[in-house]
Amino acid sequence: MNQVLTSDREARLLKLRQMAQQVRFHVVDMVHHVQSGHIGGSLSAAEILTALYFDIMNIDPDNPKRPDRDRMLMSKGHACPVLYASLALRGFFPVEELRTLRQFESRLQGHPVIKTPGVDMTTGSLGIGFGVAVGMAMEAKLSGASYNVYALLGDGELNEGVVWEAASAAQKYRLDNLVAIIDRNNLQNDGVSDTIMPMEPIDRKFEAFNWEVRRINGHDMQQVLQTLEEARDFRGKPFCIVADTVKGKGVSFMENQRSWHGSPPNDEQYRQAVSEIQGALV
Amino acid sequence: MTTTALKKAAIPTRRAYSARMAEYGAIDSDFAVMDADIGYSTYSYLFGDKYPGRYFNMGIAEVNMFACAAGFAANGRTVIAGSYGVFITMRAVEVIRSFICYPNLNVKILSSHGGLTAAIDGVTHQATEDIATMSTIPNMKVLVPADPVAAGKLFDVSFTSPGPVFTRLMRDPYYEIYDDSASFVLGGSNTLREGSDITIVSYGDMVFQAVAAAEELARSGISAEVIDAYSIKPYDAETILQSIRKTGALLVAENHQRKNGLGYELGILSLREFPVPFDNLGLRDMFAESGDYYKLLEKYGLSSSWINKAATALVARKEQNNA
Repeated sequence: MNQVLTSDREARLLKLRQMAQQVRFHVVDMVHHVQSGHIGGSLSAAEILTALYFDIMNIDPDNPKRPDRDRMLMSKGHACPVLYASLALRGFFPVEELRTLRQFESRLQGHPVIKTPGVDMTTGSLGIGFGVAVGMAMEAKLSGASYNVYALLGDGELNEGVVWEAASAAQKYRLDNLVAIIDRNNLQNDGVSDTIMPMEPIDRKFEAFNWEVRRINGHDMQQVLQTLEEARDFRGKPFCIVADTVKGKGVSFMENQRSWHGSPPNDEQYRQAVSEIQGALV
Repeated sequence: MTTTALKKAAIPTRRAYSARMAEYGAIDSDFAVMDADIGYSTYSYLFGDKYPGRYFNMGIAEVNMFACAAGFAANGRTVIAGSYGVFITMRAVEVIRSFICYPNLNVKILSSHGGLTAAIDGVTHQATEDIATMSTIPNMKVLVPADPVAAGKLFDVSFTSPGPVFTRLMRDPYYEIYDDSASFVLGGSNTLREGSDITIVSYGDMVFQAVAAAEELARSGISAEVIDAYSIKPYDAETILQSIRKTGALLVAENHQRKNGLGYELGILSLREFPVPFDNLGLRDMFAESGDYYKLLEKYGLSSSWINKAATALVARKEQNNA
């Protein structure tokens, strides 16, 4: 019995790992195709979003606004390529549409907007999406609804004061239906987060705000899945996952490079990136 | 300021708006109210005392309050969120723009201490750019009641108009303009006094200043039409144009910076549709100071005597043009 469960889980993890690589492929493909978009902070969040959209969250691509669905706030809205790739692969809109990223009259705006199927709320100005997530979780409590609200924040985003206003409100209202995930890739627009505005100890800061906190390797799918499962079912406090990640993860020459925050690959870089991502699939 | 026509108001518009909000809690059992720890000043506590389960003091954190309000509204629940005008329209303006107005969500904003009605609190608490910022954001509607009756009725207009609505309220009670039979609609105005020589448009506390000025003007033989433009956005272009076609002169008086207020808006309307001698009163690109409301209005050029002077000059200009 245990062996069956273990192998079920292994199969799930394998599927999720493969899906994360597909997500990565589409991130690189759309940003290359339109020659614009935030690639580094998308690649660092691939495992987290894949686990959320393909396993953890209760969502319905055929009914994107179903009232009892789980919500996901892409508070680090600039990394929307990874959100769009996840939503398209999950069936919220055609995968072909990904190549319209940021283009005239596309549904895939430069930063997420509420009208795109699967996008729960407009985000993009850092820090505010997290506050919106807190409001949604409060509203869910008021409605007696049982869904969860997830929010993905960048570590640079923690510089914003409103993050800590929102973190305070979340503990005041004991929002145990709220899960914040920090994509801790230690790079932001101008360089290394630790030197631009040191935010560590991030885990102890959230603990001091009376959150339940776990710190994990954000690219280890087994850890990501297990911690999200724990967070999903946890009761009594809001839950924060500090996920240590690598900006540009999965493409060797993009990893830990500031310059890949917001620049697109050229054709040669694109071919190399795709071959690395597809190589990792085998 | 002297007026024979108007009675002193018993309560400020901030209190009247919140009192109606508390009443409305029985009509609509769904909406929630948020305050940024000035509930005893905005009087939102009147709602909170009756409905503690849907009243949220979000602490002294306006930016997060509006973000949370957006979260409620994105889930389909209307929120009324209150604070002082300066903090709402400047500190939290980006949240209001990108997270409430852009997705066109049902967040209704209770904004107290509009203009120099925050007189004795000083400049940090005097919202004198609020109409400019709020009117400029797409999807936002802007209302300013002139007295307690208008405040209660405009609460209903705000609540029943889809999308975000900003209501500017006053710190202190001034005068009663309306009785209970008065009606208010989004995009409407009320003509309080008919006249033939000049149209005076104002809103909020400046309405009673304009009424007082019109009485003075009548004594010197000038017949002023007084319009309460309580709906600033959208505004009642039809009534205002009809009026200036009749009077041939337009004066806008507002407790706000002259720049980018209703005066600029109506001046352009007149230029575009029917140019007439025009002037607008407001703060002349300057901050005021602490002090008695009436003394501040006198010093900064907004009182009824300034309206009187400006109107008299406009009528003289009109007659010169006609001569």
